[in-house]
Amino acid sequence: MAKLRELVNRRKAVRNIAKITRTMELIATARFKKALDRAIEADAFTRKIAELAADLSASATTITHPLMSSRAEVKSSVLLVIAGNRGLCGGYNGGIMRVAVHRLRELAEQPGLTTHLELSGKRAMQFFRYQGYTAEHTYTQFEDKPQFDGVDPIATRYIEGFIAGRYDRVEVAYQKFLSASRQTPVVETLLPLASHQVETRKPGQVEATPSQNVEYEYLPDAASILAEILPVAFKVRLFKCFLDAAVSEQIARRVAMKAATDNANDLIKSISQSYNRARQAQITKELAEIIGGAAAVE
Amino acid sequence: MADKRLQCIVVTPERTVVDEAVDFVAVPLYDGELGVLPGRAPLIARMGCGELRTHGGGQTRRYYVDGGFVQVRGQAVTVLTPRASKAAEIDPHKVDENLATALAQAGNNSDAALAARSRATAQKRVAARASQ
Repeated sequence: MAKLRELVNRRKAVRNIAKITRTMELIATARFKKALDRAIEADAFTRKIAELAADLSASATTITHPLMSSRAEVKSSVLLVIAGNRGLCGGYNGGIMRVAVHRLRELAEQPGLTTHLELSGKRAMQFFRYQGYTAEHTYTQFEDKPQFDGVDPIATRYIEGFIAGRYDRVEVAYQKFLSASRQTPVVETLLPLASHQVETRKPGQVEATPSQNVEYEYLPDAASILAEILPVAFKVRLFKCFLDAAVSEQIARRVAMKAATDNANDLIKSISQSYNRARQAQITKELAEIIGGAAAVE
Repeated sequence: MADKRLQCIVVTPERTVVDEAVDFVAVPLYDGELGVLPGRAPLIARMGCGELRTHGGGQTRRYYVDGGFVQVRGQAVTVLTPRASKAAEIDPHKVDENLATALAQAGNNSDAALAARSRATAQKRVAARASQ
């Protein structure tokens, strides 16, 4: 019967898709774990840097570093948008684009301010091309495993640009990873550095206190080491943004694919039920015809 | 007195490369090498690119570190560096390539070129010592 064949083919197709989405869900779960491990390692590094900075600032008098100076007049601002290369990750890319466009509109309202747009991820590039924005730099190499070596040149360019006065502010739009069940798209200002940004990012944790009883020997001297630590702290901060984005993307994809798999399984159930009903209806019809035919012969 | 050893920890932004108990650590500072034995006074120093050496259990282990900071406190020697790798794992061809490109820029004295040259020479040195 035509209807039966249709239903069987449809069910086969949905089953295949369910297999694909289930596989994508499993892959996303594995990648999420790896990405989370890397984010935790980076946290260890950040904590150590914060410890050092706290120890150093206890001996140096005041920290003034070009990277921390907030400019009175902001004439040139950089907005880096970190999104994904691929879709099928639920609201991940859409959420980031929303906050990024909102911020761009805010910045466009300020007179005399040029915004330099930089994009990471093919989805971001497609979206902003469609919206009519031109991006100054685009990156597609950051997938689920951002490398520090890849982020280093970008961070160095921002540092040099900020100190040279080419940029007055550097902001990043990305999906911030708060916990395995909470991620939210944010726009954060990375430069100028606020003093609290040199600390570890977990809220509620006690700020790294300088160990009062330790008298350090400083080579060459506390102030210059502190001055060197701040660029490193910024680089790690930017690296963390990319790591957070990678973790959040995998979580979003896993959630989306899980929902897709569940939907597919529900569909398979309902198609199976329709198929069985149609099959029984056909049998009943054939039986009725036979009986009717037999009765007519008598 | 209990047998004092140093805990040598090398951390990069991507992972913790080394975390083991050793007897002696040599770190490359910006102006030369610094040796650390157990019981050293606390120290925070800026590092340059070069070889990090640990002696422990009769074995000498060599690593390449790319600048950063070192903190000596109590029994822990913590090294924070953007890049660290075991000296034996450095790819000699890559190192020669980097060195050739860096030296080709001999006239260029910008910060980046100077840094690239010192990094390439340091890598070559560490790789050469590792293969001895």
